[in-house]
Amino acid sequence: MTNLIKRKKAERRFHLYGIFAVSLSLLFVLTLIINIFSSGVGGFYKTSFLMEVHFDQKLLKLEDNPSIEQIEDASFRKLISYNFKENFSQYSKDELKKIKKLFYRKIDREAQGYLLQNPEYLNQKVELLFTASTDIDQIHKGNFNRNIPENQRAINDFQLGIYDQFVETEKVKSVFNKKYFSSGDSRDPESAGVASSVMGSVFTILICFLLSFPIAIFASIYLEEFSKPGKLTDLIEININNLAAVPSIIFGLLGLGILLNFFGLPRSTSLVGGMVLSFMTLPTIIVACRSSLRAVPPSIREGALALGATKNQVVFHHVLPLAMPGTLTGTIIGLARAVGETAPLLMIGMVAFIMNVPSTPLKPAVGMPAQIYLWSESAERGFIEKTSSAIILLLIFLIVVNFVSVYFRKKYEKKW
Amino acid sequence: MFYPVLFLLLLSIIGFYLNKNRSVHLSKNQKLASLPAYYGYLAFLYIFIPAIILWLGLLIGKSIILQKYLILILDDSLSVMNSDEINLFLSKVKNLSLGISFGNESDLEKFAAEKIKSFDKIFSLLTYLVLTLSSIFAFLIARRKVIPNFKSQRIVEKIINRFIQICSFIAILITLGIFLSLVFETLNFFSYVNPLHFLFGLNWSPNKAFVIDSAETIDKDVLRDAFGIIPLLGGTLLIAFLAMIVAIPLGLMSAIYLAEYAPKKIRNFSKPVIEILAGIPTVVYGFFAALVVAPKIVILGKSIGFEISSESALAAGLVMGVMIIPFVSSLSDDVINAVPQSLRDGSYALGATKSETIIKVILPSALPGIIGSFLLAISRAIGETMIVVMAASLQANLTINPLEPATTITTQIVTALTGDTEFDNPKTLVAFALGLTLFFITLFLNYFALKIVKKYREIYD
Amino acid sequence: MVNAITTENVNVFYGDKQAINNISLNFLKNKVTALIGPSGCGKSTFLRCLNRMNDVIEICRIEGKISINDLDIYNDDIEVEQLREKVGMVFQKPNPFPKSIYDNVSYGPKIHGFTDKKTEMDEIVEIALKKAGLFEEVKDRLDDLGTSLSGGQQQRLCIARAIAIKPEVILMDEPCSALDPIATSIIEELITELKESYTIIIVTHSMQQAARVSDKTAFFHLGNLIEEGDTSKIFTKPDNQKTNDYITGRFG
Repeated sequence: MTNLIKRKKAERRFHLYGIFAVSLSLLFVLTLIINIFSSGVGGFYKTSFLMEVHFDQKLLKLEDNPSIEQIEDASFRKLISYNFKENFSQYSKDELKKIKKLFYRKIDREAQGYLLQNPEYLNQKVELLFTASTDIDQIHKGNFNRNIPENQRAINDFQLGIYDQFVETEKVKSVFNKKYFSSGDSRDPESAGVASSVMGSVFTILICFLLSFPIAIFASIYLEEFSKPGKLTDLIEININNLAAVPSIIFGLLGLGILLNFFGLPRSTSLVGGMVLSFMTLPTIIVACRSSLRAVPPSIREGALALGATKNQVVFHHVLPLAMPGTLTGTIIGLARAVGETAPLLMIGMVAFIMNVPSTPLKPAVGMPAQIYLWSESAERGFIEKTSSAIILLLIFLIVVNFVSVYFRKKYEKKW
Repeated sequence: MFYPVLFLLLLSIIGFYLNKNRSVHLSKNQKLASLPAYYGYLAFLYIFIPAIILWLGLLIGKSIILQKYLILILDDSLSVMNSDEINLFLSKVKNLSLGISFGNESDLEKFAAEKIKSFDKIFSLLTYLVLTLSSIFAFLIARRKVIPNFKSQRIVEKIINRFIQICSFIAILITLGIFLSLVFETLNFFSYVNPLHFLFGLNWSPNKAFVIDSAETIDKDVLRDAFGIIPLLGGTLLIAFLAMIVAIPLGLMSAIYLAEYAPKKIRNFSKPVIEILAGIPTVVYGFFAALVVAPKIVILGKSIGFEISSESALAAGLVMGVMIIPFVSSLSDDVINAVPQSLRDGSYALGATKSETIIKVILPSALPGIIGSFLLAISRAIGETMIVVMAASLQANLTINPLEPATTITTQIVTALTGDTEFDNPKTLVAFALGLTLFFITLFLNYFALKIVKKYREIYD
Repeated sequence: MVNAITTENVNVFYGDKQAINNISLNFLKNKVTALIGPSGCGKSTFLRCLNRMNDVIEICRIEGKISINDLDIYNDDIEVEQLREKVGMVFQKPNPFPKSIYDNVSYGPKIHGFTDKKTEMDEIVEIALKKAGLFEEVKDRLDDLGTSLSGGQQQRLCIARAIAIKPEVILMDEPCSALDPIATSIIEELITELKESYTIIIVTHSMQQAARVSDKTAFFHLGNLIEEGDTSKIFTKPDNQKTNDYITGRFG
């Protein structure tokens, strides 16, 4: 009898282990996502100060009714200095310098931007929003503990005092960070954005798709419908299975050795990146396509043949369309994986500092994962937030892609 | 660079319509052996295929010829430079010709860039000319085939079949490419470093290899102790081991629970959510490991009195383990579900509990598949790059202590190639030797995984 | 004559579909009772209720009382593992574990904790294999895989496996339907021997088999118990017209 009790106890324990294992795994997912979202959501907002600016025409050395080009050529530095003196006249020169440090160092460009958009501001006094420096930004968002001793922080007590004043007089605003989406990389966290890396990823995945999709489908069709069993076919199959299991970094070395060194293709471009990723994605699509082709019942083929169609016509007009849903699902999965790849792209140089949004796949580019990598290596605290924000964007994209593929699969899944 | 292809495509499409219309016209009076469209396709293929090959040839030939041309006209200026300076010069003028400049180019470089630009222009014209001529020639041939007896459909289908056959060879080509690029550069590397020192050396300090002026040759004796792979293997295996400690119990138990115990609703919810772990890009894991997990481990260690490195193998290993959970879990799940219900019934009928049935009947039956999944997971862990690059160390350290820093093969590959050293230096070339080693290791593991699964599958069928 | 198992007003539902309608049927100790009837009439379902194998199926719901030795087996106090120690089962398709012959037979005794000693276990295995009429054929290869045996041998192995835990009742769900005629006759002979020590309830598709081996027969149709009684009576002079139609092959 006690034997049975022991066994029952063992059974209960085992059951609990199972629940524990699943719960822990689910907890990991939750922790990861919550952590990323909480640290990255702030990156979509930037802290700004309201400050009154007098667009003095003389300081800008502009004529009446200046043209756009003239405004673009003008230097706004003196204007900013002057306005600081005006707004904070009660402070000494030294203190003024410190106050300036509370702001992003390129606010002269921001002032210029305002005037370009609103030329009527000339000679007016306007209260406008100016980006705060990354240090204040992080303090305002609570990412940085301001209570540590003064010598351990970038913002000293005096500056904190001014900041507090701004807060009290309601001159501190959290504004949606549009620039994050429109600008490329930058040395300053204040102006760094994901535009260049998004474009880089878009081009890379596009090239990857254009190369791997047709070739994979043709190869699958050959292997499933036309090939005769033999050594050559076996060799091809073994190769495909092997390639599916090769670490991604090896494909990067392949790109480096053959595409860059031997063929001399331009380094750091989305073109080469896309080619490298297509080597990797090819086996995945082939596997998906082949199983979809296999799932099409022979009756379809026989029916078409009986009507006098050639084998080619049977395959391309009848079988392939039916295998498309499964193939597309596998393709989407493969491409989603490729979007997140970093290592192979590092090998071919797609890890540079890219300020400008690439206009063609032949321009140097950086992908989103590589951008995340680069930003995470930076010591500046502001970049940590930007990294998390980029990760949020990437994850949202992947989740959407996954839902689309599941939707596709459910909708077109035909049970023969 | 690709405009000629678009041009060619246009010509091919024109050829298609011309031929098709001709055959439609012809078919009004007599019966044709094939549908008109196929005469069109014939023209398309005849025009496109030879021309695209020509285009590729011209493209490849262009860079070779350009190189030779430049060296020819600048011979006296270049003869004073060594090979490294020449390479730098060539890449600089190439960039300059594309409009990328830093504003400090010499007159020679500007002159060379101009020469490149004019060369490009001539070559471009030549390309268009060649393509046009070949297209016309091909079209005339295709035109002559628009006759009633000619079975263009058959020919077109033959061409297409040959094409898709070639496509299937691509897999072999890629493997060959990997092999060639790795082996070639590895041999290059072995001209600097003895293979035995590489494979069995206990010391990894590649920095020894670069404190050298590019004019001197590298002292081979110094290199003896610089490129030993053993500490890297040790680090790779240590971190993979740590990952497996996390992934195997959690992955396998989750699979067992979801397959045998969980009510349908929980299974339908949990399975996809755990799969999310597999879809998260590894760079995100690396970020998490480096910025969240590692500091917490250091703090935890301090509170117990341990001095744990911020680049410990533990941080990287744990996070990698989490990433691998879905691999183990979903592969095991498939295998467990494949065990026939009749075996379960037999065990329950004998009065066994669920856990006894699982442990004594189901798992042993599914064992080959499960081991296969473990091997594949290990292979994944060994080949993983970003998590270790971001969370583990760059410092080689042969140790079994997870609290110490360690580096892996993949980390060193990245380090070797993202530095500033020129290509022909063993410090950079070692990346390929490492890559080749990694390739073989993962190939081996995957081969074994497949073999084990196959061998024991005989028990069932 | 004692009842080994009694059943009262048993109803079985698969989700909303009713598979067994209000059946009350008793099984005599040390006798062979055959359950016959056309495909899908609920014989196997009913059989599986007797050792609570239907618990494995989530959507299956059982009402009524099934008692062994005056204990309701669906009572919460009864441990299903103990029940199955007393009521063994042999399935339609032989399902030996992919283990050695020895391990197949010793599996049951091991988990129920019969003995730790190898010599005692060896004895248990040998006796069970002998009772199943398999020992002579496999005594030299007890370490071979159970799945390497022929179909008939595998089924006898499954019987040995069931016997090894010393049940009182053995349930057999069409045990010969996957076997050839020679193997079938070996198993039928075995059943006749086994009934000295065990109560046997056998579901069978073959009326001839039922006539050959069973003492009592129960005829099922569409989830209902139509008639039950001595085998000789059922097959020569059944009371119910439907029984007669089935016996004479009018439907099946």
